[in-house]
Amino acid sequence: MKVSLNWLRDFVDCQLPASELEALFRRAGLEVASVEERGAAFDKVVVAQVLESAQHPNADRLSVCKVDDGSGTPRQIVCGAKNYKVGDKVPLALPGAVLPGDFKIKTGKLRGVESEGMMCSAKELKLAEDADGLLILPADAVVGSPIADQFPTDVLFELEITPNRPDWLSHLGVAREISVFTGLPLATPGIPAPAMAPAGPAVSIEADECPYYTLRRIRGVKVGPSPQWLADRLISIGLRPVNNVVDVTNYVLFELGQPLHAFDAAKIEGALHIRRAAEGEIFRALDGKDYTLGEDYLVVADDRRPVALAGVMGGEDSGVSATTTDILLESAVFEPSFVRRASRTLGLISDSSYRFERGVDPEMVASASARAAELIVQVAGGVADEIVLEAGTHWARTEIPLRHARVRSLLSVELSDQEIEEALSGIGLEKSCGGGDSTWSVPGFRHELSREVDLIEEISRAIGIERIPSLTAGFFSPSSEPDAAYDFVMASRHALVGMGFSEARTSTLVSVAEAAWFGPAVELKNPFGDDQSRLRTSLLPGLLAALKRNLDLGAPSVRLFECGRIFSAAGEESRITMVATGALSASDWRGGTRRNWDIFDLKGAVAEFADLSDGDFVPLPNPPLPFGAALEVFKNGIRIGILGTLHPAEARRLDAAADIVSAEFHTGAWMRAWDAAGAMKPLPKFPGSTRDIALIAPLGLAYGDVRAAVLAQNEPLLESVSLFDLFTDPAGKNLPADRKSLAISLTFRAGERTLTTEEVNATTDRLKAGLKERLGVDFRE
Amino acid sequence: MEHQIEVLRAEALEVIGAVTDAATLDAARVRFLGKSGAVTALSEGMRHVAKEDRPRFGKLLNDLRQSVTSALEVQEIRLLEEADASAAASLDLSLPGTFAATGTLHPLTQLMDRAVKCFRRMGFSIADGPDIETEWHCFDALNTPPDHPARNEQDTFYLPDGRLLRSHTSTVQIRVMENTPPPVRIIAPGAAYRRDEVDATHLSQFTQMEGLYVAENVSLADPKGTLEFFFRELFGPDTDLQFRPHFFPFTEPSYEIDIRTGALGDRWMELAGCGMVDPAVFEAICDRRGDRVYDPETVTGFAFGFGLDRLAMNLAKIPDIRMLVENDLRFLRQF
Repeated sequence: MKVSLNWLRDFVDCQLPASELEALFRRAGLEVASVEERGAAFDKVVVAQVLESAQHPNADRLSVCKVDDGSGTPRQIVCGAKNYKVGDKVPLALPGAVLPGDFKIKTGKLRGVESEGMMCSAKELKLAEDADGLLILPADAVVGSPIADQFPTDVLFELEITPNRPDWLSHLGVAREISVFTGLPLATPGIPAPAMAPAGPAVSIEADECPYYTLRRIRGVKVGPSPQWLADRLISIGLRPVNNVVDVTNYVLFELGQPLHAFDAAKIEGALHIRRAAEGEIFRALDGKDYTLGEDYLVVADDRRPVALAGVMGGEDSGVSATTTDILLESAVFEPSFVRRASRTLGLISDSSYRFERGVDPEMVASASARAAELIVQVAGGVADEIVLEAGTHWARTEIPLRHARVRSLLSVELSDQEIEEALSGIGLEKSCGGGDSTWSVPGFRHELSREVDLIEEISRAIGIERIPSLTAGFFSPSSEPDAAYDFVMASRHALVGMGFSEARTSTLVSVAEAAWFGPAVELKNPFGDDQSRLRTSLLPGLLAALKRNLDLGAPSVRLFECGRIFSAAGEESRITMVATGALSASDWRGGTRRNWDIFDLKGAVAEFADLSDGDFVPLPNPPLPFGAALEVFKNGIRIGILGTLHPAEARRLDAAADIVSAEFHTGAWMRAWDAAGAMKPLPKFPGSTRDIALIAPLGLAYGDVRAAVLAQNEPLLESVSLFDLFTDPAGKNLPADRKSLAISLTFRAGERTLTTEEVNATTDRLKAGLKERLGVDFRE
Repeated sequence: MEHQIEVLRAEALEVIGAVTDAATLDAARVRFLGKSGAVTALSEGMRHVAKEDRPRFGKLLNDLRQSVTSALEVQEIRLLEEADASAAASLDLSLPGTFAATGTLHPLTQLMDRAVKCFRRMGFSIADGPDIETEWHCFDALNTPPDHPARNEQDTFYLPDGRLLRSHTSTVQIRVMENTPPPVRIIAPGAAYRRDEVDATHLSQFTQMEGLYVAENVSLADPKGTLEFFFRELFGPDTDLQFRPHFFPFTEPSYEIDIRTGALGDRWMELAGCGMVDPAVFEAICDRRGDRVYDPETVTGFAFGFGLDRLAMNLAKIPDIRMLVENDLRFLRQF
């Protein structure tokens, strides 16, 4: 909401500069979104009239003018503008004036001709961002009068008001806050308390959602344009003047915070009924549109039809028009949630609904009506009825007990009873009984205060955060399962970073296509667009998109990982996912051959990352898309993830020149499989012996089968098996083309002695014989 | 004999002193100390020396051998040192280093981890909750009225079954109190979602850090001390903080925290929200738990929350929030 400093000064004589007022607002909890200083407050800048204009003798672009500055003696001014004509009134800065930018005006010669001042553009007076030529003033501007009369100064604060402070939605409310924090007295407007009388049959409240309703008749008004002062005030806070009656209702809304509505009395048939709308009832609002209502809506109706959607908007054919002479002025209280629902569901948001849905000051209803009646009579003539008709019940003030010990303990400040009571009476609360503890009566403008804690908040605001000490102590919280998960994932992140992978963060929200690979995805009811309509079922699609982006940007190699959540109907799970493609290592000056990432590089990386050995990887015969080849990864017998190379078609879709490899781990399963720091294995005391064997095997025989066949022989001395060479010869020169050579290193060891050559050789021979028998392989000697 | 010894000593020391490389050194060693070397040959002469003179000549010979040996050692060390020096000097140390590149942690993760470490030092532990939440956890339990604007479908993502993507991590406060009796002292880093159009300053998904401390006698002095300490740990001891009264449905009193620090360009920035847990939140928890361990007459607490994305952006002068999720390696590798 915009508030005008000039308007605020109607209530509080505050001469603080804008910056200090802004600081005061912030301290009070009123957020200031922007501050705008308006007008032209310059000494020695006056309205002048151009009397003559002639070409400058020495400069094509300049002219020499004679102007009347009101002193009776014409002044000579050299001017560069072209947009004026003789007779125009313009701002004239006299010698001694200081314009924005500390620009001092003095008499001086311009290209040899004396200039006794400067005629100004709007920009030079900081009245506009940009301006072409002189600012031409209205013809009725008085020559010689200060320019400030034409452009009165004001400061406009754009305030962001939190929903707990509806009282700030008016100039009176904001002025009250200035008064609280400056100690300056609040000058409440001199509004006579009107005489009230029961409305009788004229107003009938037929729904609980209207606790209080008042109506006042004003006869013989003349609808027309508002006077300048009224129009100016509305324009200053960004409103458009409509006519004098409507403008007054708006004025009072922004002045006192109470929304009002003026009906054309001639168009109201019978009594006013505040009732729920009938199902399917049509209401034509003053925006000219028809709205279909139902029982959830509250309307003000005459005997025939709804004439207002209560608190939101008036009807088209019952409002004030140019021909209106008698008006009925409504000032009422409507249930906030009803106004909010009507406003939201119909998309009708008005200054009025905004205030009703936050709650208006119930003690202001009659006063606002009186204030508006007074102003209407002032600007539109007519006579207001002496009596304001009322219906419904008067608001009863809330009484809130306050335990002073509770205040002190919650704020950690040893406040005296007096300090506590001064804080609350300072904001307008009335103490109804005292002693050590106290009870407080809440005025209507702070009707949202209802609990002890609300009062404590007010005290904390009044004494200021500076009074609150800073405490650094507290309960030592034991570590939790999420702590363990956090540490596990953070350690994984560091490990992957050490292996050359950079951490990515991709969106949880993905497209239908991106969610398609890993089972049914959870769907959003109201996605922002189709590309964000599902919750991801895997981190892989997001990482592949990131990989593609980097390839498109020319990266020779991409290694990314992400730690994040995935979603399915079964719930949420944590995943760690890695992708890689392109050069395995960066090129360097040593030369040497370089390779691209393939599935074995990733398998090796994963074996290091997860501390796994050959047997923990199990090939998947039918790999799921997007994988073309894949392995399941186990740790201590628990399946912790999958790794593979992308199906060539998928790699082509991503325009990848090399294999794309990826692994995805189930963080939870991995943590379960983790054997926390067990006892160490004793170091071998005796040397081991190694024997290398070279098998000639059919191309189709898997190394895993060979390894399994070695291990299956259960040789007690065999410590480890490792492949150190693989050779094929498609040309068939050194090896038949349908064979491969596998060179395997076998390590033997006994725990308690050094092995003899004989027993090592014998064991090797047994193993070879076993392999020959089981797999039918030959050996190269 | 005595003369012979002295002549040989002089000769040997001269030859050894002139040694220039390993080969001449070896030659000198052989010439004087080898099996048929000069010192050895002279020792053979001891046989012709009179018996009573033998001890004296024996000593002289021994001296000779020792001085030759030590002269050889001196030269050997000198040559080795010269070789070492020239080996290092011949390296072109301006050649670039060669090692496999490591990766980097995402800037948000780095910031989050710094924050987590700091809160852990203060005795907080980590808590967690789901991204997909019930309306009750996200709004009702947090004292947000049924018709509050944040709840509408314009602002919050809903699932067809009525659940939603949490619009703030404050849901974790509720999860923790539902399941754990007081005292609790937790932080919860995590994702939250708002139905915003994505642009340079908005993502529909963002990262927040939530905190909650509930115990007996927690006062407004606790969040003040805790968050002053935290932000000064994060940004340095010269950081200025301003607690500005504000409104959140789930805390009272509530504050927004503005921070001014060199790391953020020395201007005030609104960075966090905090406040004392509203009694209505405790009452909702008591209803749900079916006990009174969170009776607001017994326990009090504070909660706080702040966004990590905007903080990371300001710390690293990242101009566009989308860079945090585009995963351009040229960006990521800078952190």
